[in-house]
Amino acid sequence: MTIEVSRLTKRYGDVTAVRDLSFTVAPGVVTGFLGPNGAGKTTTMRMMTGLVSPTSGTATIGGRPYRKLARPSRTVGAVFDANAFHPGHTARDHLRVYAAMGGYPDSRVTHLLDLLGLAEAADRRIRGFSTGMRQRLNLATAMLGDPRVLLLDEPSNGLDPEGMSWLRGLLRRLADQGRTVLVSSHALSEIQQFVDDVVVIRRGELVAAGPWSRLAGPPLVLITTPDAADLAAALAAGPAAQVEAVSADRLRVRGLDAPSVADLAAARGLRIHELVTENASLEQLFLRLTTDQAATR
Amino acid sequence: MKLLVRAELRRLLATRMWSALLLAAAVLGGAMFGAMALVGPENFDPPMPGLDTETGLRAILGILGYTAFVPAAAGAIAATSEHRHHTAAVTFLFAPRRGRVLAAKLATYAVAGLAYGVVLAGSAGAALFTVAAARGISLGMPAGTVLALLARIGVAMMVYVLIGAGMGALIRNQVAALCVVIGYLYVGEPVLMMIPGVNALYPILPGGATAALTDFTYLADAMSDQLGSGTVPLLPPVVGGLVLSAYALTAAAIAVLIPMRRDVT
Ligand SMILES: Nc1ncnc2c1ncn2[C@@H]1O[C@H](COP(=O)(O)OP(=O)(O)OP(=O)(O)O)[C@@H](O)[C@H]1O
Ligand SMILES: [Mg+2]
Repeated sequence: MTIEVSRLTKRYGDVTAVRDLSFTVAPGVVTGFLGPNGAGKTTTMRMMTGLVSPTSGTATIGGRPYRKLARPSRTVGAVFDANAFHPGHTARDHLRVYAAMGGYPDSRVTHLLDLLGLAEAADRRIRGFSTGMRQRLNLATAMLGDPRVLLLDEPSNGLDPEGMSWLRGLLRRLADQGRTVLVSSHALSEIQQFVDDVVVIRRGELVAAGPWSRLAGPPLVLITTPDAADLAAALAAGPAAQVEAVSADRLRVRGLDAPSVADLAAARGLRIHELVTENASLEQLFLRLTTDQAATR
Repeated sequence: MKLLVRAELRRLLATRMWSALLLAAAVLGGAMFGAMALVGPENFDPPMPGLDTETGLRAILGILGYTAFVPAAAGAIAATSEHRHHTAAVTFLFAPRRGRVLAAKLATYAVAGLAYGVVLAGSAGAALFTVAAARGISLGMPAGTVLALLARIGVAMMVYVLIGAGMGALIRNQVAALCVVIGYLYVGEPVLMMIPGVNALYPILPGGATAALTDFTYLADAMSDQLGSGTVPLLPPVVGGLVLSAYALTAAAIAVLIPMRRDVT
């Protein structure tokens, strides 16, 4: 099921939160929806689900606007607010309310509590839940109807590294089952390890969309070595690597990944003390994309 | 619609407020009302006619009717809960037709309100007849009439849950809704009653309609005495009930129509 956003615009008084935005989200992959704070990600996702009415333009899921879906929770599971619970309800109470609303049996509630690792906390009041448990419960709620499409607004907020790797695994499995998975984030570093495609927006407008491998650009590796001069020469002689000397014992290499650098150094008998892959930040991505755009103009 | 009502029932029954509410009904009806009957209105300060007179019996039942702020507050709390806890977005994701969600809530609260009314009126009736038997008083009205009045008080409680819920759905902010509902019942309406001319409206105000539904004229009479105006006639009981329901439904209808397209953020 494909999500299609077409010329979407949302104005709040003088503020234009989303401006003439168009993109599609494909099934079977995890798509990252990236943009700095206030870029319009949440607003766009709320328009996809009919919670916010667009000023103009349309958003459809499998060809239909959200409000026209026969049983929306069967098609789309969405998570917005990390904290949308009655604090006095238990996890099971919360899920049972929405199971009733969607017409799903209690066995589905039990299954999801197990699947998301909440079985032990199931009968505790949500007021005492940690951020990670709340995020899991949000996901469980969204997955009640076994939807083909998942929309998650900043699901990585407040998750520890273990929670992140768990989330990565879950989203990967869901995408591999052929579902459409859209995950927003304001921090590229948080989701770049698990997105296949990205849609990048800024100030409500599209900056770039496409496979991350294409947009990410060549890898950037930082090397600390006592044999800087020799290694630089060896790398420069190799294929398509740009080498830059940062200091007497540090080099920055663009176009070769860390294993290739290490292998090359080993083959020449050169020493490496530290090898770090530099993750591109959203700012760097913007910088590159805008200079690329300027270059192709 | 059936699914939505089931969901709202589950939502309500899972909260502590629900058990607290039923407990309140039993305490107000059994304990408080029972204690009042045991002391006897003739020993109140100022003294009122005793339970063996019709006036005294009606007055003490009318006081029971004045506990309507409890179900009204409960209705307001229930109806504003989703706004307060930010679950409205989740609910509208599951049920994008927002009017139906609110209709399901009102249906659910009507059932809950009726349960409250049954417990309140039932425990009050039990207390009244027990006390009368124990004190050896023959009540100032036939048992059938007393039961009918109690039943009307029970129904009034249900309507007050809906009034509270309707106002809550309209105002959305929980504290504000509680202030408006309780403030009106306790301050707003008595003040309105002081204003000459406006007090002629009393019969169609919520308090007057409740008084009509429960045949409780004690307060209206006292007030007309004090103001030296002629007696303000109350509506017939059924009409009073309808007027009350109209308040609840109007608040709810406005609440349904206004936020239908409002952005949920
Ligand atoms: N209800 C609203 N009323 C007025 N302005 C709003 C409203 N909702 C969003 N905005 C504005 O629209 C813009 C986009 O906000 P939005 O929340 O969609 O951004 P975001 O990309 O999700 O940001 P973040 O990363 O901080 O969550 C912001 O300038 C915000 O101030
Ligand atoms: Mg946001």
